[in-house]
Amino acid sequence: MANDVALTVKALKTYIYTNNRCNRALDGVSFEIRQGKTLCIVGESGCGKSVTAASIMQLLPTLSRIEEGEITYHGPDGPVRIDQLPRDGAKMRAIRGKEIAMIFQDPMTALNPVYSIGFQIKEMLKYHTGLGRSDRHSKAIDLLRSMGIPLPKKRVNEYPHLYSGGMRQRAMIAIGMSCNPRILIADEPTTALDVTIQAQIFELMDTLKRDHGTAIMLITHDMGVVAELADDVAVMYMGNIVEAGPVGKVLRNPVHPYTRALLDSIPVLGRGKDQEIKAIPGQTPDPYNRPKGCQFADRCAYRIGACDQMPDEMQVAPDHRVTCWRYEEFAADAAE
Amino acid sequence: MLTYFARRLLTLIPMVIVISFLIYLGLELTPGDAVSHMVPPDALSMMDEERLQALRESLGLGKPFIVRYWIWITGVMQGEFGYSLAGGVPISKIFLDRLPATLELSFAALLISTVLGSILGTISALTRGSLTDQSLTVVGMLGVSIPEFFFGLVAILVFALNLNWFPVGGRILPGYDSFWDRLPHLVMPAMVLSIMMTAGVMRYARSSMLDALSRDFIRTARSKGMPEWRVNILHGFRVALTPVIVLIGFRLPVLIGGSVIIEQVFQWPGIGKEFVSAVRSQDYPLVMMVALFSVLAVLIASLIVDLLTAIIDPRVRLGE
Ligand SMILES: Nc1ncnc2c1ncn2[C@@H]1O[C@H](COP(=O)(O)OP(=O)(O)O)[C@@H](O)[C@H]1O
Ligand code: SF4
Ligand SMILES: [Mg+2]
Repeated sequence: MANDVALTVKALKTYIYTNNRCNRALDGVSFEIRQGKTLCIVGESGCGKSVTAASIMQLLPTLSRIEEGEITYHGPDGPVRIDQLPRDGAKMRAIRGKEIAMIFQDPMTALNPVYSIGFQIKEMLKYHTGLGRSDRHSKAIDLLRSMGIPLPKKRVNEYPHLYSGGMRQRAMIAIGMSCNPRILIADEPTTALDVTIQAQIFELMDTLKRDHGTAIMLITHDMGVVAELADDVAVMYMGNIVEAGPVGKVLRNPVHPYTRALLDSIPVLGRGKDQEIKAIPGQTPDPYNRPKGCQFADRCAYRIGACDQMPDEMQVAPDHRVTCWRYEEFAADAAE
Repeated sequence: MLTYFARRLLTLIPMVIVISFLIYLGLELTPGDAVSHMVPPDALSMMDEERLQALRESLGLGKPFIVRYWIWITGVMQGEFGYSLAGGVPISKIFLDRLPATLELSFAALLISTVLGSILGTISALTRGSLTDQSLTVVGMLGVSIPEFFFGLVAILVFALNLNWFPVGGRILPGYDSFWDRLPHLVMPAMVLSIMMTAGVMRYARSSMLDALSRDFIRTARSKGMPEWRVNILHGFRVALTPVIVLIGFRLPVLIGGSVIIEQVFQWPGIGKEFVSAVRSQDYPLVMMVALFSVLAVLIASLIVDLLTAIIDPRVRLGE
């Protein structure tokens, strides 16, 4: 294994139990997060992106379990099997926040309204660093400043309701980056923000990645974001990764019909105004009533008889894999 | 914050005026004559009809109702509360004698129900669905639905008469008047008075806590790798507390109403007990003043609750 890998997820199965029914939210997911790189996980709503993040952070809902597979964090003290740690044990808590930090979708609700922004940064420092009280305070101010928040000395004592949405997400990133984590997981961090703010937040994350060598796992449903930010891409559908590889290969030579459909559903820069934008036909299946074979079969224009069986994962190239019976035809087509 | 407080205080004034007016109107509609409420009864019996008439004139009883109300309310504001019909004792003296006992009982009950109710509600929420949670829910339902006097009688029967742990009633024995001497007398009435409120606070604290725990910022707090207790208490309970305090404010009238009954059951020498005997003996001036003061107590309590919530909520505390 290359030593620039920060986290390995292997054949991960996470099931969620609701009303005595089992939702196989993750059904064998594998990927790596490389040090100093951005991995984008992309897919429609409900495909298991957030559950993937929650599995890594061990922040899953109570009635859910990692049934199979491995999550290995390659920390400074050697590999740690996260999936084997007790959820709220001291070891997991030492990793959570310090080694792997996370920021969430909606900055309006992710911060506690009754504590100042400074308090919410400093409590993180209190648990993971040996800094004293006044050092924590000045560190909190420094963090806000480096996240581009004006007047950080004053703002550090203010409460979330005085921050705009974009500012709150910057404050969340300040919390996430406060202990200089090796991995930052961002779960659709800009979905709740408007477009200009979105671009600023992504720029900030990209700068942090460069300056600190942080590995970023960015969850999004937007292929445009992938094109902008990703080094690696994993395309998810119904709890599986259907295609994954370096961004250049996956976006330029998409092999899986679902990846292609996703790409067709966004405007592409430089293709002009009159380009065709096609929404993906049909809907994602009911998680409790899944197709037996390829999960995408019901919506796939290329479906054949073999698709009633679950396809195996195939390598298009050493670093480019896809889960589709007809990948060879598509790969040949893409290579043209 | 200060302007908020001032504004809140100003809104009390019209309420007090309306309520005191209604109370005065109530008195006006009862049989009897205002002179009998203002002059000590023994002095009254020594006056002949002519002098009474002169007194009525001098008191302005011939004046319109609204003017008399004005004279009365300004008098009350200057501390002229009038006299009790029974024994001609100045009402202000009755208040001075009885109020400390009532305040002691109410504060004790308030303290017990706030602390116990919040703790039990929080435990219930944190162990949701467990046996503990279910038992607490059942106990809470009983607590709000069984009348207090019943608990009072049972408590007297079990803890005073059978087990002999606490005195049956009363507040002070002659010669024993420090707080510690009084404490055994206070325990049972305070506990019984707090039952209904504790149960209410508990149920509300449970749902408020569950609501707080389901919020996104709890997940953020967990993602920081902090221990569960800190997530639950500092982030969950702290946010759950504000609505609980508001509820306690709303329930204060229930506590005041309850104390009337409990003072009767435990022979607690407070305003409530005085109120019951005043109603029985148709001592209208006393009834009127107790009513006025209960209303004031509720209004002031709600003001204090508002201030507390303001202090707890940064949006109001640092308000615009
Ligand atoms: N807390 C939860 N309780 C029950 N089911 C959940 C929960 N979170 C996610 N799921 C289910 O897991 C599947 C994956 O959801 P999620 O990972 O949130 O999707 P997304 O890709 O939109 O983030 C969905 O079928 C969803 O219904
Ligand atoms: S396996 Fe078949 S149904 Fe599934 S994506 Fe490939 S062609 Fe379509
Ligand atoms: Mg999600």
